[in-house]
Amino acid sequence: MSEAAATTARIKRLIVDSLNLEGVRPEMIEDEAPLFGEGLGLDSVDALELVVALEKEFGIRIKSQEIGREVFSSVSTLSQFIEGRT
Amino acid sequence: MQPDQPDRRVAVTGVGAVCGLGWGIPPLWAGLRAGQPGIGPFQRFDHSQHRTHLAAEVEAPPATLARACPGWRRLSIADRFALFAALEAAETAGLAMPFDEDAEIGVYFGSSTGGMYESELFFAEFLRDPRRARLSALIPQQVNAPGDAVARHLGVTGPVVTYSSACASGALALGAALDAVRSGEVEVAIAGGSDSLCQLTYAGFNSLRSVDEVPCRPFRAGRAGMSFGEGAAVLVLEPLARALARGAEPLAVFAGAGASCDAHHMTAPDPSGAGAAAALEAALADAGLAAGTIDFINVHGTGTPLNDAAEWQALQRVFGERAGGMPLVATKALIGHLLGCSGAIEAVATVLCLRHGELHPVRRDGEADPELPVALVLDEPLPLAGARAAVSTSLAFGGSNAALVFSRWTGPAA
Repeated sequence: MSEAAATTARIKRLIVDSLNLEGVRPEMIEDEAPLFGEGLGLDSVDALELVVALEKEFGIRIKSQEIGREVFSSVSTLSQFIEGRT
Repeated sequence: MQPDQPDRRVAVTGVGAVCGLGWGIPPLWAGLRAGQPGIGPFQRFDHSQHRTHLAAEVEAPPATLARACPGWRRLSIADRFALFAALEAAETAGLAMPFDEDAEIGVYFGSSTGGMYESELFFAEFLRDPRRARLSALIPQQVNAPGDAVARHLGVTGPVVTYSSACASGALALGAALDAVRSGEVEVAIAGGSDSLCQLTYAGFNSLRSVDEVPCRPFRAGRAGMSFGEGAAVLVLEPLARALARGAEPLAVFAGAGASCDAHHMTAPDPSGAGAAAALEAALADAGLAAGTIDFINVHGTGTPLNDAAEWQALQRVFGERAGGMPLVATKALIGHLLGCSGAIEAVATVLCLRHGELHPVRRDGEADPELPVALVLDEPLPLAGARAAVSTSLAFGGSNAALVFSRWTGPAA
């Protein structure tokens, strides 16, 4: 597994574990599917919890202005962001 | 009523409820009529270390409810109860939802513990492993969360308030709603209460030794305390004239409300019953009804030795020689004590009794208490089609007392 694929898998596992999503397994989350609204249907509280979880998991800091639609739009964009930080 | 005076009467046009007897008014009324307690073993949390092991626990919600309510997973159990009861009440009232933004509608709610159960889950998780504890479990912890959830989902943009005065909360909220409708502050009030089982209250009442080891036995000899219940109840209130104008069928008239405080003790009632009697008299005065027009009482009737004795004193103060023959309906014997919601769900029970023209019974547990010679409705429903009016009492910790008067709807000519 490439480093990027490993990061993607870790993010999916983290989303399921830290957000306690009922009936969702990591492999059910598509790389490009929207996380908020349609798609996975996360809300703003999930965003806050996900930031905390990502910071702990990857040892990175996410500034509030980065918690925007662009970085958090899908697992794929999150993965690219984290790859660029670590 | 004088023809030259405006009609200030307030109608109950919708009711909704969830409790240990089931989700909805039909299972509530069927269970109440059957007189069999919905109190038994329960699973919500580990109670093995407590003195008692019973509650009237609500079964899992219908799956359709979650799908109909956006943001469902952010709601506490108490929020979910509230939402279900409010939707049922609004539907039976024939109100179109969501409401228009300019509709003058308010939410008046009572709760003792709001999302306490979910906060307890968070705290337990935090003690086990702080990294795994999810802060979002605390979102619905506020005591006003159930009423707020109702307002958010129904689109209520008028006043939204929550009363939290222990077990009088639901009745006090209804009293406030009545005032708001009468004064014209709101056109329609969504009024009620919601509380879920939680460890705080379960442990608290157990430590006070005010919980019975068997389903509670209000007004009976050997009674040894209350039983826990949970759930929500909502009534839709509006001016009677408005209800009739829009073709809604009033279920009852909400005639009056009164409140008082014992100023006596943190938990025990004033044994003289003076405070409870003051609330009853205030409610009758507010309704403009003489005590002689009250044909039955939905008692607070927790089943604690002290409450029932003090309540009997209060009934004698207000109803004199009639007190002993007055049919008493003891709803808590069947659904347990819903704490901040008890006044609301017992108001619903009272409305249903008036509407159906019969009083629901309770099981004949043990002997009558010779100290309390009351006419408790036992075993079978008591037909009382001619009942003119009824009172529901709520007598809470802190000595907070509330009484609500409902009268039977007999048609526009009355």
